[in-house]
Amino acid sequence: MHMATVLTINGETKSFDAPPEMPLLWVLRDVLGMTGTKFGCGIAQCGACTVHVDGKAVRSCVLPVSAVANRAITTIEHVGSTPAGAKVQKAWLDAEVIQCGYCQSGQIMAAAALLAATPSPDDSDIDAAMAGNICRCGTYVRIREAIKQAASGRQS
Amino acid sequence: MSGKMRILTGIVVIAIVVAALGVWFIRGPGPLDFAGGPKVALAEYRAGKPTGVPAKLEKVGMVERGEYLAKAADCMVCHSKPGEKDYSGGLGFKLPFGTLYSTNITPDKDTGIGNYSDQDFLNAVQRGKRHDGARLYPAMPYTSYTYMTDEDVLAVKAYLFSLPAVRAKPPENTLAFPFNQRWAMIVWSAVFNPDTRFAPDTSKSPEWNRGAYLVEALAHCGECHTPRNIGFALDNRKKFAGAITAGWRAFNISSDKATGLGNWRDEDLISYLSLGHAPGHGSASGPMGEAVDHSFSQFAPEDISSIVAYLRSVPPQPSPDLPATTAPVAPASHKDGVTADARGKKMFASACASCHGWSGESPVSPMATLTGTWAVNDPAATNVAQIVLSGTKRHTPDGALSMPAFGNAYSDDEIAAVANYVTARFGTKGSKLTAKDVAELREQTAE
Repeated sequence: MHMATVLTINGETKSFDAPPEMPLLWVLRDVLGMTGTKFGCGIAQCGACTVHVDGKAVRSCVLPVSAVANRAITTIEHVGSTPAGAKVQKAWLDAEVIQCGYCQSGQIMAAAALLAATPSPDDSDIDAAMAGNICRCGTYVRIREAIKQAASGRQS
Repeated sequence: MSGKMRILTGIVVIAIVVAALGVWFIRGPGPLDFAGGPKVALAEYRAGKPTGVPAKLEKVGMVERGEYLAKAADCMVCHSKPGEKDYSGGLGFKLPFGTLYSTNITPDKDTGIGNYSDQDFLNAVQRGKRHDGARLYPAMPYTSYTYMTDEDVLAVKAYLFSLPAVRAKPPENTLAFPFNQRWAMIVWSAVFNPDTRFAPDTSKSPEWNRGAYLVEALAHCGECHTPRNIGFALDNRKKFAGAITAGWRAFNISSDKATGLGNWRDEDLISYLSLGHAPGHGSASGPMGEAVDHSFSQFAPEDISSIVAYLRSVPPQPSPDLPATTAPVAPASHKDGVTADARGKKMFASACASCHGWSGESPVSPMATLTGTWAVNDPAATNVAQIVLSGTKRHTPDGALSMPAFGNAYSDDEIAAVANYVTARFGTKGSKLTAKDVAELREQTAE
């Protein structure tokens, strides 16, 4: 059954037709053409599809659109306009975090949600927030460093 | 009679009396005896119609009525193997003494029930007697279905016979001696199957009687939720006190306020049965998830209300191993609350936290909230380990929400660690599961 769904994505109201059980990730990529959010595993185990719902990092691949009506969704396309997201993106560039890049929009979204909630995270906070985001290139060391730079404002 | 004969006769008489008393004691009360009011034959009951289908289906044909009743009796879940045709059987039930396979109940003449007469079908469903005279094992809940009316049983038959015949022979059972002796079920059945039809209780409301019929004759709730006696039959002295079935814990559904349904609001029970979720009580998974998907979600709203009215009347039975109140929301930060199980915490951070949150209140959906569920408040962690092993999928009117199965991705040791962490963080008392416990839980689940 298709019905018009209205979502608030990056501060804009988007209306589209999609079955209520369609995962938000499919809506973002296939219906709305917002391909910055990546598909990785499809079962909420790699973190590549991370977006913010009401400021919290969630995996969009298992999130039916019916569950996010009336909630504020932020994606990688817009996270740079939030204070924490801007700091994270700058630190990511300064520390040259990215290698192949596929997981990085998810990593940045997870890191931005962490800093918004915990402005000065220690290693255990970083572990608790970032452990669900997998990077096959192994950029974990640089991710940790960039999060610390973003939190402190210092340059590498 | 000589003195010796008299003594011998005396011993025999005493032995028979002791055996009869033993049987009477073990058998205990019937499922509806707690109600205590006067019973009348169904034909003489005028206050309402506790059997059959809801009023709006009264006028439809026998096949449609049978479909409603077959769903209410949840025939399909046991008589279908995932990936195979509905009702074609072959689902394996792993018991401590071997595996039992469900039968094909499609109308195929060779491998199904295509040759069953009406009487054959009544004998199977109400008496546990097969077409060829052999006895069924009580994994087929005929001690519950025996309360169904002939009319309702035959409507189910009409529905099953309207389905396509599927040629499928289930595997042979692998039960060990003496459990492979089917004839022994003649004795079991004589003791434990009342072989009687539902008789309304005139001291109760028509709604209660409808609920009693749905719960006891069709939905067979007691088969999972009532503990068993030494004869593997239901011990109705502890009616609905909860039990372990197929490796999952079926929780207490008596009216006990602390550990049963006594404190659930009507709307919570209605929501749990019809949607598989109630706010603050979690979501149905495992066998209960299947019961919701294939059976309760298909019930008419008035039937769900009748079930609730009936459940409310079942006397309280405490579950002493469960806490009197479930644990509150855990702290939002991973640093606060328990940190004892470092390995469990590591697993939770990488595999669980993104959906369930560190507080136990899911950022994704209330359906994934852990706070308040019995599963995380059960110090045995049975259902936590099971759901991690096998995952779950909840279907709702707004679409499905699922949790992946981790059984093939993580070792028994890892699953024990995460279950112990989850129960400690989100429940009242952390579990102490070992890898061996998890291995045993894997063994017990149906195929």
